[in-house]
Amino acid sequence: MDFSLQLDTPEISAFRKEVRDWLAENMRGSEHLRWSGIWSTRENDEEYKFRRQLATKLGKRGWLFPTYPVKYGGAGLSLDHQFVLETEIDRYGLPLGSVFYTLARLVAPAVLKFGTEEQKMEFLPPMMRGELAVWQVLTEPQGGSDVANCQTKAIRDGDHYVVNGQKVMVGHHLPPDFLWTIVCTNPAGKRHENLGWLYIPANLPGITIQHMHLMMGIKNAVFFDNVRVPAKYLVGGENNGWKVANSYLELEHGGGGSVAENPLFKRLIEHCQKTEFDGESLMEDQDVRDEIADLLIDLDVQRLMGLRNFWHRYVRDPHPYGGAQFIYFQRMVRLRNSERVQRILGYDALVPDGSVHEVADFEYTVRSGPGWLHGGGTLDTDRLIIARRLGLGRPSQENAPTTV
Amino acid sequence: MDLKLNDDQSMMKKVAADFVKTEAPPYVITDWFQKKIAFLPELFKKTAEVGWLGMMLPEEYGGAGAACTDCAVVFEELGRGPLPGPYFSSGVLAAEIILAGGSPAQKKTLLPEICRGRAIVIPAISDDPIQWGPRSVQTRLSKTTAGFTLTGTKRFVYDAEAATSFICATRSESGGVVLALVERNAPGVSVKPISGFMIGAAEVRFDNVAIAADNFIGDWVVVERALTKALPILCAFKVGACQEIFEMTNEYTRTRVVFGQPIGRFQRVQDHCVDISIHLDGARWITYETLWKIDSGIEAAANVHQAKAVTSEAYYQSCNFSHMVFAGPGTDYKHPLMAHSVLAHTLYQYLGTPLYHKRAMVDALYPRKAEKVG
Repeated sequence: MDFSLQLDTPEISAFRKEVRDWLAENMRGSEHLRWSGIWSTRENDEEYKFRRQLATKLGKRGWLFPTYPVKYGGAGLSLDHQFVLETEIDRYGLPLGSVFYTLARLVAPAVLKFGTEEQKMEFLPPMMRGELAVWQVLTEPQGGSDVANCQTKAIRDGDHYVVNGQKVMVGHHLPPDFLWTIVCTNPAGKRHENLGWLYIPANLPGITIQHMHLMMGIKNAVFFDNVRVPAKYLVGGENNGWKVANSYLELEHGGGGSVAENPLFKRLIEHCQKTEFDGESLMEDQDVRDEIADLLIDLDVQRLMGLRNFWHRYVRDPHPYGGAQFIYFQRMVRLRNSERVQRILGYDALVPDGSVHEVADFEYTVRSGPGWLHGGGTLDTDRLIIARRLGLGRPSQENAPTTV
Repeated sequence: MDLKLNDDQSMMKKVAADFVKTEAPPYVITDWFQKKIAFLPELFKKTAEVGWLGMMLPEEYGGAGAACTDCAVVFEELGRGPLPGPYFSSGVLAAEIILAGGSPAQKKTLLPEICRGRAIVIPAISDDPIQWGPRSVQTRLSKTTAGFTLTGTKRFVYDAEAATSFICATRSESGGVVLALVERNAPGVSVKPISGFMIGAAEVRFDNVAIAADNFIGDWVVVERALTKALPILCAFKVGACQEIFEMTNEYTRTRVVFGQPIGRFQRVQDHCVDISIHLDGARWITYETLWKIDSGIEAAANVHQAKAVTSEAYYQSCNFSHMVFAGPGTDYKHPLMAHSVLAHTLYQYLGTPLYHKRAMVDALYPRKAEKVG
């Protein structure tokens, strides 16, 4: 076994050097933006703009979607190359995930797998060039976890689908270019066979977007009022939306794996080393050390589960229950860390510090405990998926869909 | 990065799995545990013949020069049994202590005998039922005109009944820890089995036992060095045990029908299985990463403590969650879960509790300013 994150062959080493040099040049001037985020309550337009520009520059080289075919605007490189790009960009504390996550992990892979050649040629190149912000809009007021119980209707009318309905708790504080959504294309049809997948230009008449102020920051409600969507935007074919959902939600549910370091631990140690109580650093306090021990173990197990999932994706052998297990475990670790940080810091744990990486911010840590118990499904849905994949109480085990 | 076993390791895993299935199927192991039989000389000899005792030792001492991960793969399968006996305590821990601190003569005479299964050397380190670490060593070593004597009582010594000799940790007159080799049959040595909710432990008394000057092995540093290589093997044993519990519990949810349906259709029952999966996989990957670090020569002191803490808790908690699923039938000593449950409690205490090792992990990463000396 080999747990080193270095996968580098001589060819890959050369590529890593190329990427490092390129980033050193193109990240210049972003120093004051590093280690902040965009998902949560931080709304830093300058940072958002920088990320978008960076994406465009990466896109020009095909590096935003390095493994995609050159004809669609990718670079035709291997997963090894993508891994190098992801880890090297992460070193700057400005991961593109928060801006392009939906696109890179969910939308583009699904278009590549389920789109017609025409759709690929039209939809993919602007994504690859980093020109688009796309929101995934699935959750509806009457249900989040039960995705198949979709009430937003898209009824075929000639060359168009007429969309009516409402989605909630989606996106972030700046407007999208496209909406990636599941709709009910046949209200009379059987469950799972009545759904379609639409890639909707966000500027079509009849679309209204309203901010929602939530625990984890700004999300939105999206209203569709007789929106006429050209039929060419249906991905995956008539009434085939559930199949599209199934294969890519595996990625949403952790099946993609993760190799990023968690900056919270390092910052907590620094805080304990420099904070004194009663003439002694917190780091000398046995109770604090015991909290740190448990926190470190949780973060290490989480890191290793993510690494395992990444490996399974890397060798194209999906782990049967690993995706949902990782997400479930991560939710519970966040909740435990939320309390641990409060126990160690006291009141200070409730005050945000915008100068550090969002994941290392104690107030964010506290808030994300209860705040991330859902998002991409609830923790109970996670456990349900694990149970099915384990075949509990069933004669056979449900397989993990191949991730795209 | 490569997270799978290599071909040799996969083969070793299969050989070990087949061995356990043939030699010690669940109903046989359950019977041993119920009767508190913790040592089976014939079976022990067979494992020596396959080459599993002292397999990490260099070939010149009768070992196979195996990597930690190779050895761990075998012990993971033994843990699935769980196979009772001094495979770890003599075949791994004692072997590593002697390799780390023994004189050339001690290594040459003792190590090949450990590999052949003819010498069963059992470490008797802590005197105390609660503590672990150098502070737990109280047995006194005294200098006499003729040489040395040692006196003290090790309250819980795992696998003691099988011993042909002990590595006894003593406290010298100058206050340091000194390891002494003591023959089981030496005058003044007595072994008293302990019965309780555990297996394989005995109280070992040393009453004015004479020690010749050439029977010392080294100090606490030797124990630490040996533990760094040995503990991950014990961790792998516990990972295998968790795997077995996981599979048997999941299977039960398919076959046990209550209220007209298999119990695995109830979400509260499912939750117990999910919890076992998390303990199992946490234990597995923490252990594997530790093994990889050791085999790659990367500093792993904190990882070893972490793995010991995580696997002991995982084994213990997996048993508890499994008990929630098996309910009444799982508490019958004739049920395979009971063997695990008894062993999980024993191994929770063996060589330091999870709390001890969590603290040692943090101490290894962030040493205290003024280390408290015991």
